[in-house]
Amino acid sequence: MDSKKIEQLLEKYWECETTLDEEKALREFFNQAEVPLHLKESASLFRYFEQQRQQVITDVAFEGRLKKAIEPQKGKMRSLVYSSLRIAAGISVVLASFWLVRTQIREDQPQEITDTYDDPQKAFEETKRALQMISKNFSKGQKATAKLNLINEAKDKIQTKDNDKADS
Amino acid sequence: MNFESFQNRVLPAKNKLFRFALRLVGSEEEAKDVVQEVMIRVWNGREQMAEIQNMEAWCMRITKNLSLDRIRANSRRQTQPIDGSFDVRNEALTPHESTELHESMQRINRLMAALPDKQRQVMHLRDVEGYSYNEICDILDIDMNQVKVNLFRARNAVREKLTKANAYGL
Repeated sequence: MDSKKIEQLLEKYWECETTLDEEKALREFFNQAEVPLHLKESASLFRYFEQQRQQVITDVAFEGRLKKAIEPQKGKMRSLVYSSLRIAAGISVVLASFWLVRTQIREDQPQEITDTYDDPQKAFEETKRALQMISKNFSKGQKATAKLNLINEAKDKIQTKDNDKADS
Repeated sequence: MNFESFQNRVLPAKNKLFRFALRLVGSEEEAKDVVQEVMIRVWNGREQMAEIQNMEAWCMRITKNLSLDRIRANSRRQTQPIDGSFDVRNEALTPHESTELHESMQRINRLMAALPDKQRQVMHLRDVEGYSYNEICDILDIDMNQVKVNLFRARNAVREKLTKANAYGL
């Protein structure tokens, strides 16, 4: 582009009548090495714009940090899994200790009634035997008390006889 | 919007957002924080933003708002030129030319910093980032007339100062 045309474009630029494309053409023209001396000041302005555009975020960790900040879902999920695992572990520890303590107590205090037979027939036989044993012992006792009754009856008879004598 | 479309539509704008935020807040660290906050906001509000057509302009607008919030919160205006940001190393230039270039960049930076906020914002969006007038309306939330007036005033102020500097050989 010759400098005449550039001067015309520049005039349009100062009047704010240039299009974006024309402004781009001006920027490109002024950023080349050779610029006519009388356009030096305008050139420095367009070079300034170009340099401004070169400014970028140089921090390489920027995107990484940003991604970490905007991807909380994954982190949330993970922490959710971790915390639920932690809760589950706590619950299982409590349950296990409860179970241990319970069995310990059971061992220390054996229950009064425990099933000793699996077969009901056998259990019945055993029960019958036990009851028979009790009844046998009961009958033994009855014999002994029958003797005592005999003594009591004899004593009563003697007493009534003594009373009769005293009356008469 | 899923993560992939976020990566394709929003993330590439990060440098434009960064430059705009840098223009407004003046510090690279803060500008980076602003960009990150913008991205997070866009991501969190992605459901509501489905119907937004010009995602980049929308992001620029959020950048502007967050930057201004930050300036207000800091209650200090940082429009000082950013000295360290001019990398004018150019193999084709002699040390003298390089120094000269550096100086002229510094001068324009000071000149831009001296512009009123709106003018500086409009000029940055148009001349550095190449946005259309309509997009600038959306980004700055002002009408077309204001965009044109501000740009006209900004360009003329710059032109005047440039020619003055040239005339005095400064």
